[in-house]
Amino acid sequence: MSYPEKDSKIPFVDLRDGARGIMVWAPLDGDKISEAAFELIGEANRQKSKLDEDSQKIIAVLIGKEVDKHAQELIHYGADIVYVIEDDRLEEYLTLPFVTSLIDVINEAKPEIALFAASTLGRDLAPRIAAKMNCGLSADCTEFDIGYYANRKRNQRFKKAFKMIRPSFGESKLATIIGPFNYPQMATARPGVFRKLDKDSSRTGEVIKFQPKWQEGDFAVELIETVRSSDSLDLTKADIIVAGGFGLGKEGFDMLNELVAAIRANGQNVELGASRAAVDAGFVEYKHQIGQTGKTVRPAIYIAVAISGAVQHIAGMKESAKIIAINHDPSANIFLSSDFGIVNDYQEVLPELIKQVKAGYKFDLD
Amino acid sequence: MSENYPKLDLNIFVTIKQVPKAMKTGADGLMDRSGKSMMNPHCTHALEEALSLRDRVGGQITVVSMGPPNAQKSLNEALRKGADRAYLLSDRKLAGSDTWATAEALATLIKFILKENNETLDVLYGGLQTVDGDTAQVPAQIASRLKMSQVTYVESVKVLDDKHLEVRRIIEGGYQRLKVPYPTTLSVTETANVPRGPSLTASMSAVDKEVIIYNIDQIGLPEKYAGLAGSPTVVSRVKNVVIDRGPVQLFNEGDTAKLVSDMLTAVNTKEENN
Repeated sequence: MSYPEKDSKIPFVDLRDGARGIMVWAPLDGDKISEAAFELIGEANRQKSKLDEDSQKIIAVLIGKEVDKHAQELIHYGADIVYVIEDDRLEEYLTLPFVTSLIDVINEAKPEIALFAASTLGRDLAPRIAAKMNCGLSADCTEFDIGYYANRKRNQRFKKAFKMIRPSFGESKLATIIGPFNYPQMATARPGVFRKLDKDSSRTGEVIKFQPKWQEGDFAVELIETVRSSDSLDLTKADIIVAGGFGLGKEGFDMLNELVAAIRANGQNVELGASRAAVDAGFVEYKHQIGQTGKTVRPAIYIAVAISGAVQHIAGMKESAKIIAINHDPSANIFLSSDFGIVNDYQEVLPELIKQVKAGYKFDLD
Repeated sequence: MSENYPKLDLNIFVTIKQVPKAMKTGADGLMDRSGKSMMNPHCTHALEEALSLRDRVGGQITVVSMGPPNAQKSLNEALRKGADRAYLLSDRKLAGSDTWATAEALATLIKFILKENNETLDVLYGGLQTVDGDTAQVPAQIASRLKMSQVTYVESVKVLDDKHLEVRRIIEGGYQRLKVPYPTTLSVTETANVPRGPSLTASMSAVDKEVIIYNIDQIGLPEKYAGLAGSPTVVSRVKNVVIDRGPVQLFNEGDTAKLVSDMLTAVNTKEENN
């Protein structure tokens, strides 16, 4: 391997102090492993070949009440070692005991990289761990790489630094963040961005039962209740998403639901989506939200109706194969990220769209 | 006992950040902060939560910030809305701070103020995240430095008794309710409340109040923990996001039926790959 000539006077350093492997926190989503955990284990597997041979292992950490049963599934999706921490008080996420658990596992397993989903839980947990361990942490990453990095100021070069790439400046730029000075190098990653591996039930790995050393005050905050909307909806599995914005109002969403029903009646896999503003206004339930704290989706067809196209919403759907926008405002941001568009009021366009779908129009999904 | 709150006289702190109104990069590749600025939107909701808590149980609100001297503008705005004291940590050596270094600096400032005045802290509010950094990391990292519990994504706060708050936080697909003892750090979402404007009485009394400005030496923050030097991460590269989607194909010829059918035909037309 050759390195840039201009850097040749900067000495190579390795500050890992024995840290090896990639650790992934595997949160639960009710009674099952969160999809985000499988996605990050998948990405960790894609990155690991760039690390030293003795660092090519994926360590998953599973914390909760009677969670041992999920360990094999993590191995089937690409984990090599699973640390299992079981405690009846941890049926649901609680910040401080989870911080203690992960810090104890990090001190035991000494990973060189630690990954967390950028969920409302991961974004609560990871910064506290990073602060306590004096490590860097990069938020909401959408891309990773491992490779050469030179820092002139510090007069240090690294052969295999972790590169954490994240949208910044209101999603208009991608910044590469580096922190190979303290270990583990930590990042949170947007759910729905990375792909999980295919499940391989013949894969084997090691399961380690682990007992953290609880700190004083870890259980001072008490959970009164956790409320999740009862029927689940997996927007990430839909082929077609019909999404509405704030401008639709409650009546507009009735019309949008009619379109969803018509597409579904043609045998197509379709779901209703919504912008954050529409969810905040109470027109639809949170589970339909795309972008921000909601889902990142990439369906074959995305139909955005009366969605202005806030950067956070665009971030949640821009990977869709084909994007159709219907908005009365020709200067709406959504048109910059769409393939097909109609500038008109939804009240004009939707009835006609529903009519033509009912007449048998099917969206091509290839 | 909904309206019958105990008189608690809480010591409440709020972290505030002044952010640029428009996000753009300067010549050095970092955020250009020379243009118009404002109080970070999430911070306005954090301040409102603090004011509303003080309205219910009494106490004192201190707003703290870190930034260039003109960040006084946002602190003065907080004073006009009713904050009691305002402190700004301003020092060129803080430039290039990542979230670790920002939390270290703000936690050092808060500890310094508490020690100077022989006080203890009850509730620290922060905005969930800032629009320029968008990481949501700093409140949790300050809480860690101050050895307090934390609740992030906070939507509502109720006073349970003289030792506990009941806090509701958003999670994916729902929420959690938590019983939280003082002291604690709460990071507040934009859906938590509607921030009030400046009040006449608060504005009048704000006239007598001044933002107290410190540099890092004055609060005892070592240079090696400040700014770029103290940051465990660095930005190695910034590149533009390339939108690989071609320009939008708009349909505007004919009546609605034709617009829709033309568009649906185009959606199902295979692109010729050359």
